[in-house]
Amino acid sequence: MGAMDITNLAHGVLYMVGAYVGWTAAVKYGAPFGVGLLAGGLAAGLVGLAIERGFLRFLYKQPNEQVLLTFGFVYILSNLCLWVWGGWPRMPFTAKFLSGSFGILGKTYPKARMAMIVIGLVLAVVLWWLQDRTRIGAMVRAGMDNKEMTMGLGINLERVFAMVFFVASCIAGVAGVVGAQLLGVYNALGLEILLLALIVIIVGGVGSIQGALLGGLLIGIIDAFGRALFPKLAMFTMYLTMVIILLVRPSGLLGRKD
Amino acid sequence: METARPETIAQPVGGPLISFAPYIAIGGILIIVPPFLSTYFQGIMTRFLIFAIFTMGYNVAFGYTGLISLGHAAFFGVGGYTIAVLKLQYGSDLFWIGFPLGILVAAVIAALFGIIALRVSGLYFLLVTFALGQLLYSIAWNVKWLNSPGMQGIAGLSLPSFGIPGFVISQTSFYYLVLLISVICFGLVYRIVHSPLGLALVGLREGEARMRSLGYNTWLYKYIAFVVSGAFSGAAGGLFGYYNYLISPTHLGVGTSFLPMCMAIIGGVGTLSGPIVGAALIVFVENFASLVTPDRWPLILGGLFVLAIMFARQGVVVYAGRLWNSFGYRYGSIKS
Repeated sequence: MGAMDITNLAHGVLYMVGAYVGWTAAVKYGAPFGVGLLAGGLAAGLVGLAIERGFLRFLYKQPNEQVLLTFGFVYILSNLCLWVWGGWPRMPFTAKFLSGSFGILGKTYPKARMAMIVIGLVLAVVLWWLQDRTRIGAMVRAGMDNKEMTMGLGINLERVFAMVFFVASCIAGVAGVVGAQLLGVYNALGLEILLLALIVIIVGGVGSIQGALLGGLLIGIIDAFGRALFPKLAMFTMYLTMVIILLVRPSGLLGRKD
Repeated sequence: METARPETIAQPVGGPLISFAPYIAIGGILIIVPPFLSTYFQGIMTRFLIFAIFTMGYNVAFGYTGLISLGHAAFFGVGGYTIAVLKLQYGSDLFWIGFPLGILVAAVIAALFGIIALRVSGLYFLLVTFALGQLLYSIAWNVKWLNSPGMQGIAGLSLPSFGIPGFVISQTSFYYLVLLISVICFGLVYRIVHSPLGLALVGLREGEARMRSLGYNTWLYKYIAFVVSGAFSGAAGGLFGYYNYLISPTHLGVGTSFLPMCMAIIGGVGTLSGPIVGAALIVFVENFASLVTPDRWPLILGGLFVLAIMFARQGVVVYAGRLWNSFGYRYGSIKS
């Protein structure tokens, strides 16, 4: 998360881990959707925590090493997933109470998609509230700006960072389970999601949740229209948007200037 | 990033014979041994040299200038695609056209990408080069002109022809061609690194603000390093096309970009011989691993990489060099 000054390229893979675990719980063992959500989130969170405690915590304030290290984990985790779950893609699955559709403004809309939107919005609001309005968020921001001073105030930054990393990874996992409703799960998913997330972050600006939201919205819409209007250029429109935005505003739409 | 200084700064230890002995030994092995190897191992040696060129070029930007790019496969792949398109669309596999053209096209692409990517620095630079590389990947995937009919990528390539009547290149002579080119590349990188330009690049890595206040046009220097490094990657890519008989979008993608980065880090970032040692290690381990457990190779590569970042950040070369130098102190002609 940009907010923690850690660049975690393994985030996309954590998403994938969450999706796989959630899928296994919900489809293979027939657990209710909520349990799948929890299992996926927890699994991704624990893997993330292990990466943070085992490796990343030695590399704070060394962005280059963080990038490289987490990219190494992209390889390791995708291959482990391939090992455990095999190469065949998993179909999208839909939780029972989310199947079907409902009427809204005289049109029908699938419930599962609505649920995705709601979960996404709730997460976004909670995150923004956590970062900007709570003590924990203040600690994280303080620790990011001045580590020594924050620790001097008696805050156990190690624990805060570990916790934040755990939560961030959990969210990636939950997102994976939710996303699997629509996209299914397959092994290249980790990299694809990572790429998408990077583009969103580049467009929106690093370290700003509002920026991520705006970037996500913009890229989502552009991608959808791009696919509809010029199907041959599938990914192309998205990259083009990114390049244009970089040329005009190198630090992203809502990024901090540095 | 804690990187090793160029070798000039840490050099004068041991007699000239002692400090050059490893180079002479390795050079000798590279020249003498291959004809006696099976075609299979010759292929691996060729592959190793190609990736050594790729990594040497990458290291100009990464190790010396401190630009972390995750999109260098774009230039590598473009070099390969140039010779592949020449073969597919124009039926030409002439070395004198394809190889230089590949370098040129790669340099042009690097010049374009550099304008975009160098608007930002540090982490953003990495992200942008990453995305730009994937941009080329998606283009190669979708444009018909860049694909053999019915597949993704261009197959059916061959070793180059030279326009000399009656001469058909064998795998062994192709190996020597690649060896020759890698020696030239090594010489070029050596010259660049030891020129005022190279020193300026290292200065940039160590403190860009200071260089700017000394009156250097830092953007221009970074740009030059980026384009030069792209050109080297293009050269490696062209040779790779001839060697591999197949170029596919994967060779433009992030997986391929990851390799030189891995090799440079494991060998020794910002050293002359690091990329070569790193390339050798990765290519040979890859080959060994794919014999034993082909499916687990990415896992091993990732593991090696993580270990290198955590425990051997300066790379194998620096540690080996230290060992060798202490050997030189003990037995060498120069008393310390």
